[in-house]
Amino acid sequence: MKIWIKLMVVLSMITGLAIFTGAGVESLAQGEGIKLLIAGRDGTYGKAMQLAVDAYLEENPRADIELLKLPYAGLSEKVVIDLKEATGAYDVMMMDDTWVAGFAAAGWIANLTEMYMERELSLDPDIVGAAVDCARYPYLRGIAPIYGLPHVGNVELFVYRKDLFDKYGLPSPPKTWDEVLNAAKVIDENELDVHGVVFRGRKGNPINAGFLPIFWSFGAEVLDEKGNPTVNSPEAVAALKFFLDLAEYAPEGVEIYDASDVRDGLLSGSAAIATEVWPAWVPDLDNPEKSQVVGKIEVTVHPGQVTRSAPMIGIWHLAIPEASTRKDAAFDFLLFVTSERIQKMMALEVGLPPTKASLYVDPEVVAKYRWYPDQLKALRASKVRPRLPEWIEIDPKMGFYLNLALVGDRTPEEALNELNAEIADILGK
Amino acid sequence: MVIANRLSRLQDTLSQEKYFRFIFLAPALVIVVLLTIYPIISIVYTSLHQYHYIQGTENYVGFKNFIRLVNDKFFLISIRNTFEFAVLSTFSELLAGLGLALLFKDRFFGRKYLLPIVIMPMLLSTMVVCATWRILYDYNYGLINYIIRTLGLGEVGWLINKSIVMESIVLIEIWQWAPLSFLILLAGLQSIPDELYEAARIDGAAGIRILWHITLPLLKSQVLLVVLLRSIDTFKLFDKVYALTGGGPGNATETISYYIYREGFTYFNLGRASAASVIMLLIVVAISAIYISFTLRGQTS
Repeated sequence: MKIWIKLMVVLSMITGLAIFTGAGVESLAQGEGIKLLIAGRDGTYGKAMQLAVDAYLEENPRADIELLKLPYAGLSEKVVIDLKEATGAYDVMMMDDTWVAGFAAAGWIANLTEMYMERELSLDPDIVGAAVDCARYPYLRGIAPIYGLPHVGNVELFVYRKDLFDKYGLPSPPKTWDEVLNAAKVIDENELDVHGVVFRGRKGNPINAGFLPIFWSFGAEVLDEKGNPTVNSPEAVAALKFFLDLAEYAPEGVEIYDASDVRDGLLSGSAAIATEVWPAWVPDLDNPEKSQVVGKIEVTVHPGQVTRSAPMIGIWHLAIPEASTRKDAAFDFLLFVTSERIQKMMALEVGLPPTKASLYVDPEVVAKYRWYPDQLKALRASKVRPRLPEWIEIDPKMGFYLNLALVGDRTPEEALNELNAEIADILGK
Repeated sequence: MVIANRLSRLQDTLSQEKYFRFIFLAPALVIVVLLTIYPIISIVYTSLHQYHYIQGTENYVGFKNFIRLVNDKFFLISIRNTFEFAVLSTFSELLAGLGLALLFKDRFFGRKYLLPIVIMPMLLSTMVVCATWRILYDYNYGLINYIIRTLGLGEVGWLINKSIVMESIVLIEIWQWAPLSFLILLAGLQSIPDELYEAARIDGAAGIRILWHITLPLLKSQVLLVVLLRSIDTFKLFDKVYALTGGGPGNATETISYYIYREGFTYFNLGRASAASVIMLLIVVAISAIYISFTLRGQTS
């Protein structure tokens, strides 16, 4: 008799445990009304998304929407793990255009073209074609299905202090990187409180995004036509050497600088040139409450060197994880965020660059951001980063080696040679 | 008939004490195995493979990951950084804790208010500590450089200058964790009977001699405890590096844990990260073995 009691106690303990966890899981799956968990970015992107979420809640008061605001590295890590394990934790996620190939190839995100067709809707033709193309997989412009809906029309811009350039008789806008280097030198040496240049030197995506346009301008490419890595080509080494020369005129600590540091440098007037500026960082350039340099900054495309300038595109998309159980609500939200009203609101209130072409020439928007018509031209003439599924692994690695060269732990040749070997390894070459 | 017999014999066997112990331990044992043994086996397995996280492919490569790690300059630097940090922090915390404990040993005016304040850093969340110190250390806007600048001296790149960035982090570590060694050593000091000190003073011994010949030998087990606890904790250093420098500048502050994080979660190279974890486990086991032999030897003597 005693033995049975003891066995029953143990068995009921185990069963109780099982029921407890089982019950927990079940009640989670039963949601009421609309419920969405959004994995987003921090900074201006986060503020803009918050505006969109608040507007959505005004129209759907019983909806339950949670928005995560994460830094770039944090977002990519969380999102990759969630997608890989197919937990379905996130219903909507912000996706950098360089992640599209990897996620779509692995079947982790929903095919939005299909979702459009199922609902007999068609994609808004006003959205800039180059932005939409970034979400296609395979990268066949205008044809392949899209896996994300672009909501931030990011294209890399070049920003400089026109007043200082005019003061020293420097060519404005500079047409080659050599002219940029010269301008940085002249201004740095002659202006007491102004650094010649400011850029993002932090290892990983920041320094890589800043360096690639220079890299391309010097005629270098990440891969050759056969898909072999060529980041240690003579052109690439020349580009990196130039970058290090430019860094001489950057502020102390530039090797950990990120977006907010570049923005602060520009707005405070302590930097004369910013070589890599994303529109979302600089809505306040002409805002007298935040900027010391109202009306003095010129926003343009960066110069060429060996080849002509090709602004780098870096669209943020909204994607729906395949494992999400709330795809309908998620798709609704995607359409909401890319609608004209919301896109205009995000542009006017926090300076988030829209993806709808008409907004770039809307008088109200242009009145606030005089460089928007040029930005639209840049978007349409832009260049994408390599559409590799492995890019999400290559990007941080490239940023790591560039940063090593910047802090002087490796010579440019050493850094690029090691990097090339690592990329070959990742690509399985 | 036969079944009834078998059942009653089973009943007799199972009602013996020793089997009950196993039955009641079973749930806890299962959890321990799942949370420690299983992950270790899983990591060792992954370390022998090249694993493409995104594509989900995996192929057996034997010891290739280990061989590449041992030849990887970054990994070796991270081991060096980890030991440098662990040794520097542990002994500094020991000394600081000892100093504080000696100060607080005897009663003085305000002691009961000062003691909680001294312990406070230990109670704070590490992320809060890092966020605050990061602002203090800021090159342009930080309080420390502001004071230095006002005194007319040049600013210091606390988190920017490769030669001192490790020491900057050690400083924060000491600030946060010296209170722990302080508390342990204080308890040890307070367990030393006053008669010993009186006897020594009667014999004419002065401050330092008392410290060296009486206090420290009697504190031996507490000192070993502090060294053991702090060295294990500092060896695992990750949070401060993540929050303050991201392993930089270059990889001057990259520790083994941070290397594993970078390989595993930024590059998604799980094979190499697992191999690095296995090596870290082996190092920790070796250090623990040394400690255990020390404490056992201490007990027998």
